[in-house]
Amino acid sequence: MLAFRRALLAAPSSTHDDFFVFVHAAGGWDVTLWSDPRNERKGIVEPASTANSEVGPIRHWKSVPLDGRVKTFEVVTPPGSSLRLGPAIGDLFDLHDRITILNGIAMNTVSHDDGTVFSATGRHKSGGSVPAPSIDVMLASELGTTQLMPDVSVGFPSYFVGPALDQRAIPLRVSTVDTITKSLERSQAFLDTADRDAISAVLAEEGDALATRSGASDPIAQLVGQQREMPKLLQPEFVSAFTTRTLQKAYPQFKFGVRDGHAAQGAAFAVEAFRRNVARCVSYSVGGLDTHNTNYREHAKTLQDLFDSIAALVKVLDETPHPTLSATRLSERTHIVVISEFCRTPMINLIGGRDHYPNNSALVISPRFKRGRSFGATDAEQVLPTPFKTFADGSRAIAPPDVLATVLGAFGIDPRKYMRDGEIVRELLA
Amino acid sequence: MKVVALVALVACGSGSDSIEATKPTPLVPRREVVLDTGTQPHRRMVQPEQFLRAYLTWFGGLSPSEVQKQAGRGLFDQWNDYIGALGLPDYRIDVPRAGQSNPLMLAAIARLGEALCVRASEHDLAKSTPLADRQIFAFDANPSPTLDEFAKGFDTLHRTFLGYPAALAPPARVGRFYALYQKVQTETQTRTSRSSLAPVQAGWAAVCTALIQHPEAQLY
Repeated sequence: MLAFRRALLAAPSSTHDDFFVFVHAAGGWDVTLWSDPRNERKGIVEPASTANSEVGPIRHWKSVPLDGRVKTFEVVTPPGSSLRLGPAIGDLFDLHDRITILNGIAMNTVSHDDGTVFSATGRHKSGGSVPAPSIDVMLASELGTTQLMPDVSVGFPSYFVGPALDQRAIPLRVSTVDTITKSLERSQAFLDTADRDAISAVLAEEGDALATRSGASDPIAQLVGQQREMPKLLQPEFVSAFTTRTLQKAYPQFKFGVRDGHAAQGAAFAVEAFRRNVARCVSYSVGGLDTHNTNYREHAKTLQDLFDSIAALVKVLDETPHPTLSATRLSERTHIVVISEFCRTPMINLIGGRDHYPNNSALVISPRFKRGRSFGATDAEQVLPTPFKTFADGSRAIAPPDVLATVLGAFGIDPRKYMRDGEIVRELLA
Repeated sequence: MKVVALVALVACGSGSDSIEATKPTPLVPRREVVLDTGTQPHRRMVQPEQFLRAYLTWFGGLSPSEVQKQAGRGLFDQWNDYIGALGLPDYRIDVPRAGQSNPLMLAAIARLGEALCVRASEHDLAKSTPLADRQIFAFDANPSPTLDEFAKGFDTLHRTFLGYPAALAPPARVGRFYALYQKVQTETQTRTSRSSLAPVQAGWAAVCTALIQHPEAQLY
């Protein structure tokens, strides 16, 4: 509680000008390739090497001998920094003084589904259900309800659960960015924008009339509120700004051709939505990391693509003015959190891949966090989480609830309003 | 021998005296019908599947693939594009069924509803379509109806989409929809750019599009 009060005092008074990007690296990432690098055989650790990885495309891979002709990588150490990074860090290397890395996050699960939910909500699944809201929904509920689209979730594990949330924060969950624009696109050949505005106005009036007569008016009021937003969403100019083609043209910095293009689409959508001040949170998911067999050879490249896209996002935010604050760049008020469901085994399995492992890392790029540093640790021989500090419930490793509580605490939000577990880790905050 | 027989008789006799007849009990009901007679605590959103089934039934018992075919041509393309936005579970990316509506879901449902209404008005309100063959607009549509004339047609749609006569709805409703009809119909007449729908078709398509998105149709 004391920690929360301190965090509350530290938080600036206005947080309604902040924006959030959450990225889910789906499949479980190999932390030894970026955040918690291992280049020695120790205990059960078999490091990434020329024997198990395609190292050619990895720009920060500098070979050092491992065993005979097999070579591993040299740990990447940015000049003047205490950070130790793996070779898959990609273009984030250039932004090393702006990133915060959390290592040794205890997951207590190796299930994709459960790990994803745990990382995004701070709770394990309960009887198959998700018992708590996800971080994007919590922040959208607190800070984004006046936005046209408080929370856009493109394949991200977003969950709207619990009575404390504002209904307006219900995430717009879609599989691709194109789904959003396609749902909003309207032909002008039959009914046109003016006709649809008239329809929305009638529906809003009908809803208002029903709400005043109804004993349970909340859901009607919610529906009416959404109907009132519709004309703004259906504006042709607004819709066309978010098509993949327009985004691709507007933001050539993002590599739309890489893999399925989800990272580029999500990042470009986020910048455009923030620039127009229509969304508070944009979350997306990037896959390709579940590498149990020889597809592990591509794992480092997949990670590098992911971090390249995050770095590109930060650089574009650096160049984009904030929509409501003068002389402020978007990057000064945009907070990026990248999570995964767990990491991969330190040993290589019989078919050349790595399986699921109950350790994890997270990446935060936020002016509210201490930057250019990593926190938390794993043991040398098994890459399992080691105690981070003495929490209220004793000495233990940091866990997803602590990470999420700290993100909330950085904006003066009491995590207990939404979360059962987790403590604000004051040491992480700037 | 006589003594043994006597003992056995006594023993049997005493036992039979202690047996009580089984009392009749009512049969266990084979199936108990539980009616939810309590007050509904909250209005809930109709499941997306219910929405879609209702839409397909209203517009002539169409199959989803028929909708894709009929409502295409710029109004609606593929179901796959809208799975998440319609609130349906998308198992390709592990998105569960949506429990609450959001503006995007309403927009996607509205897009489908508008497509079906426009197609129905094109078909039903064409001069060549006999009354018996009209699926939705099964009434004589005067291009410039009086309020009473409009109310008759509106009642047909109201019964179809909301399930009860318009006369039982709040009194202001007919007037509101009449104003909507007049606005769209008049503006269609004056616009030069539109040629796809006649004014009467556009007016009734707008009324239909509004009614299928009505809060009474979306909440229960």
